[in-house]
Amino acid sequence: MAVTETLPESVDAASATDASPTPSQPTGLAAVLGSGDHKVIGRLYIATSLLLGALVVGLGEAFGIEGIKPETLQIFGDDSVFQLFTLARVGTIFFLALPLVIGVALVVVPLQVGSHTVAFPRAAAASYWGWLLGSGLLLASYAMNGGPYGGSSDGVNLWIAAMGMLVLSVLTAAVSLATTVIALRPAGLHLSRVPLFAWSVLVAALMWILTLPVLFGLIVLMYVDHRHAGGIYNGSPVALYPSIQWLFRNPQIYVVAIPVLGFFGDVLQTVSGARMKLRGVAQAAIGAFGLLSFGAFLVAPTKAALESYLVIGMSLLAVLPLLALAGSVADVFRTGSFKLRAGVLYAVSSFLILLLTVAAGALGSIPSVLDAPPKAGIGDSIFFVGVSHGALLAAVIAGLGGVHWWATKVGRQPANEKLGMLAPLVLLLGAALTVIPDLVAGIVGDGFELYGDYRGGLAGTNGAVAAGIAIVGLGVLVAVLSFIPLFKRSDDAPADPWGGLTLEWLAPTPPPLANFADDLPVITSAEPLIDLREEK
Amino acid sequence: MATSAALALPPAAPPARPRVLLVGTALATAGTLMAFAGMIGVYLEQRHGVLAQGGTWLPDGTKIPLTPGSIGMATMALSAVTIWWAVDAVGRNDRQFAYLALGLTIMFGLAVINSTTFLYTQMGLAVNTKTGLLIYAITGAHLAMIVAGLVYAAVMTFRTLGGEYHGRDREGLVAAALFWYATIAVYAVIWYAIYVTK
Repeated sequence: MAVTETLPESVDAASATDASPTPSQPTGLAAVLGSGDHKVIGRLYIATSLLLGALVVGLGEAFGIEGIKPETLQIFGDDSVFQLFTLARVGTIFFLALPLVIGVALVVVPLQVGSHTVAFPRAAAASYWGWLLGSGLLLASYAMNGGPYGGSSDGVNLWIAAMGMLVLSVLTAAVSLATTVIALRPAGLHLSRVPLFAWSVLVAALMWILTLPVLFGLIVLMYVDHRHAGGIYNGSPVALYPSIQWLFRNPQIYVVAIPVLGFFGDVLQTVSGARMKLRGVAQAAIGAFGLLSFGAFLVAPTKAALESYLVIGMSLLAVLPLLALAGSVADVFRTGSFKLRAGVLYAVSSFLILLLTVAAGALGSIPSVLDAPPKAGIGDSIFFVGVSHGALLAAVIAGLGGVHWWATKVGRQPANEKLGMLAPLVLLLGAALTVIPDLVAGIVGDGFELYGDYRGGLAGTNGAVAAGIAIVGLGVLVAVLSFIPLFKRSDDAPADPWGGLTLEWLAPTPPPLANFADDLPVITSAEPLIDLREEK
Repeated sequence: MATSAALALPPAAPPARPRVLLVGTALATAGTLMAFAGMIGVYLEQRHGVLAQGGTWLPDGTKIPLTPGSIGMATMALSAVTIWWAVDAVGRNDRQFAYLALGLTIMFGLAVINSTTFLYTQMGLAVNTKTGLLIYAITGAHLAMIVAGLVYAAVMTFRTLGGEYHGRDREGLVAAALFWYATIAVYAVIWYAIYVTK
């Protein structure tokens, strides 16, 4: 009964794909709106996240200023302060940090792994447009007096739906990125030879895929609860924010910052110009940090759960991978040279802020360290606002640094190096001033995350926080100014301004639609460009 | 006969892409499983909280009859066999049995949707209670997963009909089968955690 049919026409069609001409580069609006080119999608992510990020930084600054004298400075009304606080918190992750990192990863990762495209390019494009729509709907929900603590039932429903759309969009991008690294590498580029940034994006994407769906599941429950006045949250918008607070706390918040480690390792190895002998240690460290940032089991973060041995152990252990990575990266300078570049400053700044954050998270996880205010659970301490700000700012600094470092892949020319040297230093100062005061306030015991009128933290240290956020805003502005050359056409822009070691530097500036003008070399090591130079 | 016919044909082209669809489906499936893990975790935690305080989980006047859920479980188990049969048949270039197996899988999926909606009519459970909210949200989300799995399997069926998949490249069908196995696994957990232990 068996009927065997391998249709000849299908074989012909499959064979003919190799001979098909390379599609021409679209131009004009079609090149942006209808593009599945990973570089275009990445650029859109980067540009839009910086625009929306300005809103988030401005909102954070307003909160910082009100926190200096909350009794007299009434920037926000009592009826809207909680809502806007949640907008600042959610926006920092979903408007700024995550999409900026995703944007850089979408541009760079396919190039780094020698692929002509990102996996599922239409899905990657859909992730951007879905994210943009979700962001717009989230803002609209707040405009409708919705969101957590909102007064409009429709607005609250819209907030929940928008959150769902944002999470699904991020997950779609994560699946595209992870699949690219896993399945679209050329022969010879084993996973152990993948550049550290691409490796860190793979680890991050896997952790997003394993944790953000838990948030999506909660969003489904929230929606049904609110729509039908159910029994978990009693249909109340007040319970929405506490139910997603686990997203902003360690260890979960670290998942946003995993690519910081890959960026740090990649940049420093490149400036050294040397092979990384301890590459396995570096990759294991990034993987271990990813595993230790799994926080989805804290969906309902009770005091007992936050003080469990598991959370304490994970928080304490999370410091070790960072130290191991720093050691393995430092080892390359035993054989390599050192050149001070803006990328190095970005990499070191983001790594230092992340190290501070993770060390603080480890300290704060020890139950007796945090002196929580009366009537507050330990999870409500402003200490954790500092921790989450640290992880997110590290991701933002690394994201901006990624745009600078890979400027000839993101844009048409290298970024302005002098401004690029200044920006990470300003960002480092601003991030330290933003993070440390909240950590101190949490340790000395003054500070709910939220008060009736927003005044978390100490009045004195809140002044430093306000200054810190302003300096962060200034740093972002300086970084954006340094990116202006990326928009200018140039006939002689270098493809490899840093003496790169990995495949992305073989792509022309700017990379064409299929990324590489020539056939890639045979990959025999983790540093194929060193192999090429040695052959010559 | 099948072997000789296969030898008479030109060799199949190698897969156009290195299992991208399968890897992507595996990742998306992992994410879907985590979403259900989160929701079922909340269900178990809420139920534990109520029972620990001496309360009853099911509101008065409601019941969850076991029969529809168990029939659904048995049907899903059968569909595990039929989807495996479809993949195997395509592997042997046996398209007729492949169509039959995929058709049966889709029919079984529709039957489980039918049995679940029938169960809804029997429970008498209001959605605006803690129990009702969780049960309807979780089982409703699983119905959506079944629909997604059926659409995926149907698309792969049409692609097989079009000759895109065959013995040496059945990636699409394997990917659809992987997602379907996850759908069955989630149903098994729901069956035990909600329908059996109530």
